[in-house]
Amino acid sequence: MILNSDISFILFCLLNPGFVLLISPLYMSLIKKVKAAAQGRKGPRLLQSYYDLRKLLHREVVYSPTSSGIMRVTPYLNLAVLLLASLFVPVIFIPEAPAGIGNIIVFIYLLAIERFFTALSGLDAGSPFGGMGSSRAMSLAAVIEPTMVIAFAALAYVLKTVDLHEMFAITSASAIPVSPTLVLVSISLFIIIIVETGRLPVDNPATHLELTMINEAMILEQSGKNLALIELTHSVKQTLLMAVLINILVPVGLSGGFSGGLTGGLSGGSNLANLAVSGLLGSALAFLVKAGLLAVIIGLFESSLSKMRLFRLPAFYMMAFFFSALTILMEVFA
Amino acid sequence: MSEPLLTGGLALLLLGTALSFLYRSKNCRTVSLGLTFLSSGLLSAFAAGMLYGGREVLIESYSFLSPLEFSFFIDRLSAGFVLLISLVTLGVSLYSIKYVEDEKSEGRKSLHVALMNLFIFSMLLVVLSANGFSFLFFWELMSISSLFLVIYEYEKPESGKAALFYFIMTSLSTVFLFSAFIGLYTRTGSFDFRGFGLLSPEALSWTFLSLFFGFAIKAGAVPFHKWLPYAHPASPSNISALMSGVMLKVAIYGLLRFLLAVEPELWWGVLVLAFGSFSALLGVVYALKENDIKRMLAYSSIENVGLILIGIGLYLIFRVSGLAGLAGLSLAAAGFHCLNHALFKSLLFMAAGSVVHETGTRNLEDLGGLVKHMPQTALLFLIGSVSIAALPPMNGFVSELMLFQAFFSSSALAGAEAPFLKVLLVLSLSAFALTSALAATLFVKVFGITFLAKPRTEGAERAREVPKLMLLGQAIPAALCILTGLFSARLFTLFGLPVGFGSGAEAEVPDMLFVGGILMVTYLLVWLSVRNFGPSSGPRVCKETWGCGGLAQHPSMEYSPAGFSEPLVVIFKKIYRTQLSSSRSFADSQDCVFEHGTAEIRLIKFFEEYLYLPVAQAVDRVSMKVAGLQNGRLDTYVLYVFLAVIALMGFTRWFA
Repeated sequence: MILNSDISFILFCLLNPGFVLLISPLYMSLIKKVKAAAQGRKGPRLLQSYYDLRKLLHREVVYSPTSSGIMRVTPYLNLAVLLLASLFVPVIFIPEAPAGIGNIIVFIYLLAIERFFTALSGLDAGSPFGGMGSSRAMSLAAVIEPTMVIAFAALAYVLKTVDLHEMFAITSASAIPVSPTLVLVSISLFIIIIVETGRLPVDNPATHLELTMINEAMILEQSGKNLALIELTHSVKQTLLMAVLINILVPVGLSGGFSGGLTGGLSGGSNLANLAVSGLLGSALAFLVKAGLLAVIIGLFESSLSKMRLFRLPAFYMMAFFFSALTILMEVFA
Repeated sequence: MSEPLLTGGLALLLLGTALSFLYRSKNCRTVSLGLTFLSSGLLSAFAAGMLYGGREVLIESYSFLSPLEFSFFIDRLSAGFVLLISLVTLGVSLYSIKYVEDEKSEGRKSLHVALMNLFIFSMLLVVLSANGFSFLFFWELMSISSLFLVIYEYEKPESGKAALFYFIMTSLSTVFLFSAFIGLYTRTGSFDFRGFGLLSPEALSWTFLSLFFGFAIKAGAVPFHKWLPYAHPASPSNISALMSGVMLKVAIYGLLRFLLAVEPELWWGVLVLAFGSFSALLGVVYALKENDIKRMLAYSSIENVGLILIGIGLYLIFRVSGLAGLAGLSLAAAGFHCLNHALFKSLLFMAAGSVVHETGTRNLEDLGGLVKHMPQTALLFLIGSVSIAALPPMNGFVSELMLFQAFFSSSALAGAEAPFLKVLLVLSLSAFALTSALAATLFVKVFGITFLAKPRTEGAERAREVPKLMLLGQAIPAALCILTGLFSARLFTLFGLPVGFGSGAEAEVPDMLFVGGILMVTYLLVWLSVRNFGPSSGPRVCKETWGCGGLAQHPSMEYSPAGFSEPLVVIFKKIYRTQLSSSRSFADSQDCVFEHGTAEIRLIKFFEEYLYLPVAQAVDRVSMKVAGLQNGRLDTYVLYVFLAVIALMGFTRWFA
């Protein structure tokens, strides 16, 4: 017997990762475009990332004889992990998911899988650049981890749940942010997006073969369709983290109690179904616009800063840590 | 005794011990270890049955002086730890069959097996003991048998130092336990553990402190951790696997046995939590700096003991605050992490043992590229690394997830101390999060440097895969790491713990089987959809790693382990307390012409130099003073006797 909730979840499993996968490369180009505009250049087309991915997918993969299975498995595994992670962050509508899908800690650690294996594949080919990238990426990720966990703990404190789906349901139920402290957490979340997606001032995604690079150094030995998968994974990760921030701060348009209507529509009349589909399209469009705005902000933020020295970064992270710890303290003493 | 599985298992173990004590041949050792394997199979079945059925068995037995009696008691807690011990032994016994044959002398090989069996036997009986006397008796047997195994390679100078450290620390631990149990006896008239519940609150606090320090020393909590990084590299790898995987947990068992029997107080929880957080963080931070693979694993054990103590601390805090659901969750997390750490740490120690055995070095700087020569060992080590780095859906992740959930739900705390506790928990949570992420970094380093890229030395180049039986011994804990992770929520429900998923569970744990299943499906989908892209014909292209214009890639260009941890060493330089010193001398008076100079970077062994050595020196000075009393002349001794008699008379006159 298939329940309504099952239909809603199966639909969600198809729609949410698919939608995220589809729109993610767009924001990569959008941010590049904004940065180019800020520097007075024309910049790439908005769809350039899609063309790049198509080009890479048709290129051959070159492996180093030094490399092992890690190099071969990592690109596939990472995209799979991020697609799984996309089930934890609803961007169109909130389904009735089975327990555990949506757990915020599982989400953090799914991102950790991606990082773990990317770092291993950086070491795999034995290139000094790869090792350097792995070392820096893992070190910085370790230092940002308390901030990330405290930020999410602050969310759990304010919203009284550890489930991202429930959190979004609570925030989308009210028009203004549930608690003013959420604005503080959002600052931390923004810094986390910057760090986790390797953007200025932490890492410079535009450089190759400079001593400043972190993420690009790790994937230096990747080529062809494997590189395409890794680039895609990276953009999906960026979209998911942006979605967390958007759905906490401005959840307008996210269909909260929509799943009931949707499944009712599927089993009921075509009128209801039409209504449901148009509602979904509306939510999707709303997210597209909101994420676009956030991408513009990220682009402007990147343009206004220069790369920080590696060992200055922990101080930058402390700022994010401060804002999320402050949230918890305010909740404790309120 | 009416428990055939238990009696049979213990008897087989004793038989195995006796066999290898008495006969010195390869066949006897193989049979002996086979008996160990069989016995751990029986005992795991017994313990699983006990856990499932929830029965309790009390075995009163031999008593030779009225209060000093051996009696044994099995409830769910001890059954859980029997399960832990026997599951680890299952793998280690198979691994040891080939591993022990590496030694030259027949006698030492047999002694190794006999002591190992005795060690396992004593650990089992510690966990089964129902009173302080049998607990201490087998506790000492456990310490002594493991001490002999630590100085197994006694020719090496480092073994001597390790054994000395281990001996002193373990004796200190016993002193604390002795005082606690004697206190129990003087107050209740019996060594029975059930007497803990009868103690007055004040006596209980003293007993707690005494037991906590005793067990913390044995479990290797900071600052009593120093013996671990000495003892583990010195002992054979199968013994390291047992000591780190199991013996540390026996100490945790003792602590839990006491805490579950009494009404705790809030400050106990705060103390345990603080010790746990410090041990976890410092353990992993020191591990990152370490380039000796076994010493690194030892530091990582300190970290994991810290995580277990964090779980116990949370349990105490939530229990005192009246939050039974969260207390249950934290306790289950601590217990499950005990099992998980036992599994993946024994796996990692065995795999590291294979690496050391094949390459002849423990230094990460000399390893590399082993994935080509030892593919199965590499896979097993990877499984262990992924589990200990707490990546879903492995078992290590599930226990850390439960701890995180307990932390995240701490907003439920209420009462006068709640604000203080919440701030404390936030601090502890950040330490925990940092620890967890650093552990992932650590194992990227260890796996990446040891197994990936090119071999850095000839020793690493010559390495070959170890025999099948050794691989099988590691495959058991590896399979258990995956299975206990995937089926964690179901196991909790099966064994009747108040955590799990679905209705009826007081605290929800996400179903890892579901997460793992979806991961498999998405992996297949990605693979299927991308498979057909790219040029279809032509051979697979293989090109050398780009070497910045150099023609051939050389291992010396690879990132070194020291280089890998350098960013973190710089960030945490306050903790490492590196001492930079340099001296320069000049040939002229204006300090212009440089003559010669020295520069030194030294890592201060903080605890050793500021805590252990001063204490040791103080003890040494006192001993010298006492030694001065012994001058060997009869008249002096007569004087001492005379003074003693006077003192005694005075004592009886005034005080008694």
